[in-house]
Amino acid sequence: MKLLTHNMLTSHVKGVTKGYPLLIKATEVKVSEVEFNPQFVSRMIPKLEWSALVQAAEEVGHLNDLPTELLPDYENNEEFLRKVHRVLLEVEVLEGSLRCPESGREFPISRGIPNMLLNEDEA
Amino acid sequence: MNNYVKTTKMTKANKKVIRKQLKASHTLLKHEGIETVSYPTQNLVVANGGLGNGVSREQLQDILKGSSSVKCLLMPPNKPYAFVTYGCTEDARQCHAALNGRQLQCQGRTVTLYLSFVDKAEMPPGLKVLEDFVSPEEEVQLLEAVDWSFCDDPGDNTIQKTLKHRRVKHFGYEFRYDNNNVDKNKPLSGGLPAVCHPVLERCLKEKHISIWPDQLTVNQYQPGQGIPPHVDTHSAFEDTILSLSLGAKTVMDFRHPDGRSVAVVLPRRSLLLMKGESRYLWTHGITPRRLDIVPARDAERSVAVTPDPCDLTLNERGTRTSFTFRKVRHMPCDCAYPSTCDSQRPLEVPQRFSLPCTDVDAVQLEMRFVHTVYDEIAGHFSRTRHSPWPRVGDFLRSLVPGAVVADVGCGNGKYLGINPAVFTLGCDRSHSLVQICADRGFQAFTSDALEVPLRSGVCDACISIAVIHHFSTQERRLTAVKELVRLLKPGGKALLYVWALEQEYNRQKSKYLKERGVGPVEGVEPGSVGQMDTTAARTVGTSSSAAKSSQPELSIHRNRTAFGSQDLLVPWHLRGGVQKEGQEPSHIGEKGALLASGSTPVYHRYYHVFREGELEELCRKVRNATIETSYYDQGNWCVILEKTL
Repeated sequence: MKLLTHNMLTSHVKGVTKGYPLLIKATEVKVSEVEFNPQFVSRMIPKLEWSALVQAAEEVGHLNDLPTELLPDYENNEEFLRKVHRVLLEVEVLEGSLRCPESGREFPISRGIPNMLLNEDEA
Repeated sequence: MNNYVKTTKMTKANKKVIRKQLKASHTLLKHEGIETVSYPTQNLVVANGGLGNGVSREQLQDILKGSSSVKCLLMPPNKPYAFVTYGCTEDARQCHAALNGRQLQCQGRTVTLYLSFVDKAEMPPGLKVLEDFVSPEEEVQLLEAVDWSFCDDPGDNTIQKTLKHRRVKHFGYEFRYDNNNVDKNKPLSGGLPAVCHPVLERCLKEKHISIWPDQLTVNQYQPGQGIPPHVDTHSAFEDTILSLSLGAKTVMDFRHPDGRSVAVVLPRRSLLLMKGESRYLWTHGITPRRLDIVPARDAERSVAVTPDPCDLTLNERGTRTSFTFRKVRHMPCDCAYPSTCDSQRPLEVPQRFSLPCTDVDAVQLEMRFVHTVYDEIAGHFSRTRHSPWPRVGDFLRSLVPGAVVADVGCGNGKYLGINPAVFTLGCDRSHSLVQICADRGFQAFTSDALEVPLRSGVCDACISIAVIHHFSTQERRLTAVKELVRLLKPGGKALLYVWALEQEYNRQKSKYLKERGVGPVEGVEPGSVGQMDTTAARTVGTSSSAAKSSQPELSIHRNRTAFGSQDLLVPWHLRGGVQKEGQEPSHIGEKGALLASGSTPVYHRYYHVFREGELEELCRKVRNATIETSYYDQGNWCVILEKTL
């Protein structure tokens, strides 16, 4: 699960109103090299909840020097875009879990795949 | 066998023809139920030489002209094959040698003919039909004994439907149509009517049965009515099943899992005995129609209907009443046919089911006939899903770079990588399929399409390809559409594809039905590479059997034929090796794949196929979305839905 994906996931447990962002507990994280495409990263940024990204990066131990607030004029800031690229696309949680911040319900991540299925009583 | 043992090596071209001919035979068996034999007979089947693939009678007669004694030529309409009968076997053999592999120019395409010999059909093992088993007087007595004023309903347990559906009455034990089993705790008072006793005594005396039956089902079929193909539930009844045909004759179709089918004439006042393989393994059914093709010579006798073109005639059906006597089984079935046995393989047997009324029932049905199946077949399923449909690709490529796309019901991830300029997230209910996406390097997670765990409005676009038709109530289908719209940002678009009831539209058959040469293609579904057309002019939409939506029973669909109703169980024959990870490969019998296959599991998936306009109707119920386009694409109804600003 990449952090770009995580940024879009939310808890959908019945009755929960504040199910975002899901809290990450990572037991295995992988960092791989992904081709850097500045336009792509630029276009992803408006879709993100920035604070959730920062929180997620910290939870998996890859915050490094990622700014806690979005820089203005980021489209032309290659250094910044590279940092975002790394955190969004190169860091992957392979094993661990995602926790609903309100209900505490845990969704396991195994072999890179979050299992978000709810039981019948939770839906 | 072939007397011409050639000592010279077979040329490469010859080997190729033989290989293709074997493929053709295999396809004829699998899709048409036509069994070919390796020894010469008087009858030939010419694959690819049919009206269904554009070959005309003149063309065929022209190339047959050289050979002498053609007795007759049968070209069934819409079929990609023809039958030729010669005066003698030697002439047929010469024709075979001369024409096998011959190419024809046909409507601008080259068509290769493959010839094989066919023989008289054999009865399914264990099947016997005893003619004149009751006298005309006994027939009258039996028919008069049934009081139809209170009959049981094979459709559901509330209102009796008369005109469209055969009438049914049970004695001895109540038979339930929701699970096709007997309620063993509810013996009906009265037992079997006394008028049946002489018939049953005769059966005992003649040693057709050794135990007195304790369950009787009387079915009355008006012309045009039938019963879908099925195997009588193993765990419900013991071996020999007796069925008396009164009032009129009919043709009953028997089908073996490997594809072979035999049509058996059941004369009036005859007794049908189904024992062993014919009872446990072959399905039997009566096609709902008014006319049957029967042998002319032996018109009053029971024979298997064979492709002897000179000997066929039409029989118009009358009102037929069958008395089926069975012995209720109290111990689990331990027959030698586990593939169709619900005692030995509870998951795979396709018991007929009724449509769910509640959400809980729907979840259960979908669990059994969608999710569990996909998890079991994931590997094989994925191997047959390689080509993305062009128009779906077009939709994805039309998106602005940097778009966020959700593929809800992504399956094996076929569409996740099509447009690298957008970020596509896949989700699917099947963990096995999602794993395949992850293995291929895509971002995917496991979730239900009715509750997608993504933030509202986060998507620029969504696709839902061949997903919504797996939901078994309209409410759930609507929820699925609403969920897609929820994910979209205002102005965002969703592309939906669902299977169409109408597999032939604007007189264009979908690839699913259309003939496309010969060769076995596994897991063929609407929209993928085509197969032989097996419809006998059942253009759905006009056929009354299609309008059986009032009937809550789910029928089992025959692959590569037109859909007979909107709610179906569609078989999937699992092939090739490993199923789930860690399980042993499917056992292929020593003699090869086409065994009396206890070895190939058949799974059934539930589908609600959409009729024309139905998807649009459904989408219109979503208030914050409008239909941008709708179209028909290769057996699917498609809609592009836009979320209002």
